[in-house]
Amino acid sequence: MRLYEYEGKELFKRESILTPSSRLACDVESALSASEVIGLPVVLKAQVLTGGRGKAGGVKIARTREDVKRYSEELFSLKISGFPVEKLLVEECLNIEKELYVGISIDRVRYCLALIGCAEGGIEIEETARRFPEKIKRVDLKVTEEMFPHQALFLAKGLGLAGSHLRPATDTILRLVRVFRRYEAKLAEINPLVLTTNGKLVAADARMSIDEDALFRHSELSEMGIEKRHEEGELTEREKRARENGIPYLDLDGDIGMFPGGAGFGIMGIDFLNFYGGKPANFMDSGGGPTPERLAKMLELLEDNPKVVAIFGARFGGISKCDDFARGVVMFLKEKGLTKPMAMRMTGNMWQEGVRIFEEAKKENPGLFTNIEIYGIETPIEDVAKRAIELARKRKEGARGGHSC
Amino acid sequence: MAILVDENSRVIVQGITGGAGSFHTKRMLEYGTKIVSGTSPGKAGQKIEGVPVFDTVAECVAATRANVSVIFLPAQFVLDGAIEAIRAGIRVVVVVPEHIPLADMMKVRQEAKEKGALVIGGNTAGIISPGKANVGIMPDIAFKPGRVGTVSRSGSLTYYVADTLSSSGFGETTCVGLGGDPILGTTFEEILDLFDKDPDTHAVVLVGEIGGVYEEMAPPRIAEMTKPVLAMIAGVHAPRGKRMGHAGAIIEGTMGTAGEKLKALEDSGAHIARTFLDIPVILNKLGV
Repeated sequence: MRLYEYEGKELFKRESILTPSSRLACDVESALSASEVIGLPVVLKAQVLTGGRGKAGGVKIARTREDVKRYSEELFSLKISGFPVEKLLVEECLNIEKELYVGISIDRVRYCLALIGCAEGGIEIEETARRFPEKIKRVDLKVTEEMFPHQALFLAKGLGLAGSHLRPATDTILRLVRVFRRYEAKLAEINPLVLTTNGKLVAADARMSIDEDALFRHSELSEMGIEKRHEEGELTEREKRARENGIPYLDLDGDIGMFPGGAGFGIMGIDFLNFYGGKPANFMDSGGGPTPERLAKMLELLEDNPKVVAIFGARFGGISKCDDFARGVVMFLKEKGLTKPMAMRMTGNMWQEGVRIFEEAKKENPGLFTNIEIYGIETPIEDVAKRAIELARKRKEGARGGHSC
Repeated sequence: MAILVDENSRVIVQGITGGAGSFHTKRMLEYGTKIVSGTSPGKAGQKIEGVPVFDTVAECVAATRANVSVIFLPAQFVLDGAIEAIRAGIRVVVVVPEHIPLADMMKVRQEAKEKGALVIGGNTAGIISPGKANVGIMPDIAFKPGRVGTVSRSGSLTYYVADTLSSSGFGETTCVGLGGDPILGTTFEEILDLFDKDPDTHAVVLVGEIGGVYEEMAPPRIAEMTKPVLAMIAGVHAPRGKRMGHAGAIIEGTMGTAGEKLKALEDSGAHIARTFLDIPVILNKLGV
């Protein structure tokens, strides 16, 4: 879960990492008053939960009051990778001698924390790492292992620092590790770490990502207003609706709605439709053990989507059982009804009960099931995918035929 | 033979009195799994489905000679529960819950390595050795005893593979779900190693998906396998995901895309299956 730069810097400050003096502004007026307090020139930085800010024009240096007004107006109307700019960080301009890089993240291959430093910070850091791997210095730490000053010193020397700069660099690195651990981050990065002309090391930027699964034990973060948030940029209306109902959902370009079970098959289902010449309209995941209500909501998202012409459904009951699945489908059919054809397959835990629920509902009102084909374990899922593609083709042909009459 | 669990495994359920714990205890028992006891602090003396409940894992081990554990605790209690199990002498710990804090899983992995235990998961469907033991939440309808081993990161995909292996007559020795969480207690190559040593396993199907780094760690072990490995990766057509900052990119490089995973697996000698139905075709061609 990504943090805003200003939130990351707040955590840095709490651990005594030097940051430029700054104020947060949410409109042009407050940007102007912030620049007066800090003193011109200032840097205006768009606060967005995405990278590539500099290249998108999200950072401006303002030398005059007019600059502050003009640039902040500009920035507040900007969108960066779909994120509207709602806040600006107004910051003192640093006198830069050198830009360095320090970051810490989790290495999932080696099961350790990886602390990384490079003497050449800035936006080209990944390119530098690719082309000159020898310029990247690295220290590995076990998750329970104490970080000693001499390890930070090794990294500080790797940043090309010497003499009086080593002590503040060592301190900064140790503090960054403390921030990372204290708030259970997945990433804590200072890029650039600026060596100023008067010999100070200042975190000019802060990139932090927190382990959202560990948030429950960090009430200090929620006190700062840091709660669970999405990081995907601007959501479509349907993605927002799905999210409000706790359903992981993405809109795709195609016309076949995907009503899958777990995330694994949600992804594989996209491949299958593509392999056989179909185009999925969405990715969706029911999550483990969805309630019938959530399953009904999932179907509603597809029924309401004008792009969807047919639906490919799949449930292999594991922790999410077939009886709940069938209840959710029946609930939707009774409350809303399905006008789109659906080919689906259901098997796994409690499949007999799932079949019984469908049979019962069908006996009550056979009309509800006009558009649904339900397959069981005897039909390979590949065939059901092909059938959904076939249903979509027929529906589109039918629609075209209707127009020509 | 099977790997990790079989008819002699003596299994405990940590969190046996909870909703998921008691429901799946019943299912596992019905399958014939030897569930010998369960834990729920403060509820010692109770019985769930006829299975005795103890306060601690150590008591389960002492009273019922347990050697495998399956955890149905809420995610925030997994760190304590898994380490308790490892320290009580349990050698295989299956972690069903998802969303376990990353630092917790790294600590559990470290403890397991030091004590010579295997922790499977989190967010795993479990382990099943068809006809012998079902430890976790896997739907038994999909599985038949046989000669192929399966190791997978995704629950739902595991079931489809099993279903295909059953209906095509190959069946499975053991199926291991590694789990869908970002940090796994056990990785592909560790399970491949066990399958390679199991005389009844004639081939292994490895099922991965986009994201993460674990599929890329398997190739060196695949290259040394004495039996064929089939590999399947979900997400060839998936939209590209997000990346974890510069540090993530520097550490993990190009790992994570379906293309990179398939290439690394194919280069190491794995046979690539695009769909489930490709699996029996390839196995037949190899004479498994």
